[in-house]
Amino acid sequence: MLSILKEAAVGSFLSVKQIAFIVIPLMVFMEILKDAGILDKVANLFSPVVKIYGMKKESGFPLVIGIIIGLSYGAGVIFRSARDDKLPKKDLYLITYFLVCAHAVFEDTAIFMAIGASGILLLVTRLIAAAFFTYLASRLIKSETLIKSDTGGNMLD
Amino acid sequence: MQKARKILSQDTLKRGLAAGVDVTWQLAKIIIPIYFIVTFLKHTPALDIVSNLFSPLMRLFGLPGKAAIVLVLGNVVNLYAAIGAMVSLSLSYKELTVLAIMLSFCHSLPVETALAKKIGLSAVNVIAVRAGLAILSGLAFNLMLQ
Repeated sequence: MLSILKEAAVGSFLSVKQIAFIVIPLMVFMEILKDAGILDKVANLFSPVVKIYGMKKESGFPLVIGIIIGLSYGAGVIFRSARDDKLPKKDLYLITYFLVCAHAVFEDTAIFMAIGASGILLLVTRLIAAAFFTYLASRLIKSETLIKSDTGGNMLD
Repeated sequence: MQKARKILSQDTLKRGLAAGVDVTWQLAKIIIPIYFIVTFLKHTPALDIVSNLFSPLMRLFGLPGKAAIVLVLGNVVNLYAAIGAMVSLSLSYKELTVLAIMLSFCHSLPVETALAKKIGLSAVNVIAVRAGLAILSGLAFNLMLQ
């Protein structure tokens, strides 16, 4: 019994330490990118790319922020851009579809790398698959037809 | 959309460190108890029973039966819980990578589906898309990786 406890204590401590060594520098780096305005520049740079989805240029910003930072922070940015930039519902849906498939990609990838998985394979597969699926969705969602009238709408208030 | 430019300062460093420590702490809070539970289960027949039960299904992804625990924890609780199980199960590089890609697409379903619903997407569609991507990527990675 004692040896089991020791095995678990040592093993879990080493795992957390391994992850901390990667996650803490990554979060500092991301904060620097944010404060130096680089994140916003990158997001604006990629904004025109969303035109292939038939989205407004402004929709690229919340999408890129969500991909890099994460879903919960991304959702805040989505709500704000939806209000400020009057994003169409189709854009909101496509942004959300992309983000549920791939969000906080650097943080997740770093953690999986820390425990021994292939980081580059994860990152590339996630982004390509999410981009491809969102493209399909952009062809399928023609108008507002897919939308249940009672679910959307009031989030913009 | 242009945001007001902030200036780099010591605060940047502090906020970054705080965010990193917070993620590590959130992780530790979940990984440590799960690691203890799984390590304990490893010394009982329970893990073998679960493993045998799920091994036909998990074999499709090149995974051992016990990996089912990782997928369940990741989807019902969150990624950190799945990671706690991953590190305690002594898995190979290939098994870790297959699990990581499947979990990357599909995890924390209760919380994240609620968020997508709030924006107006149907929960069933979102879960179907995510689970679909997880299954396809798991099958593909199993064939691709040595």
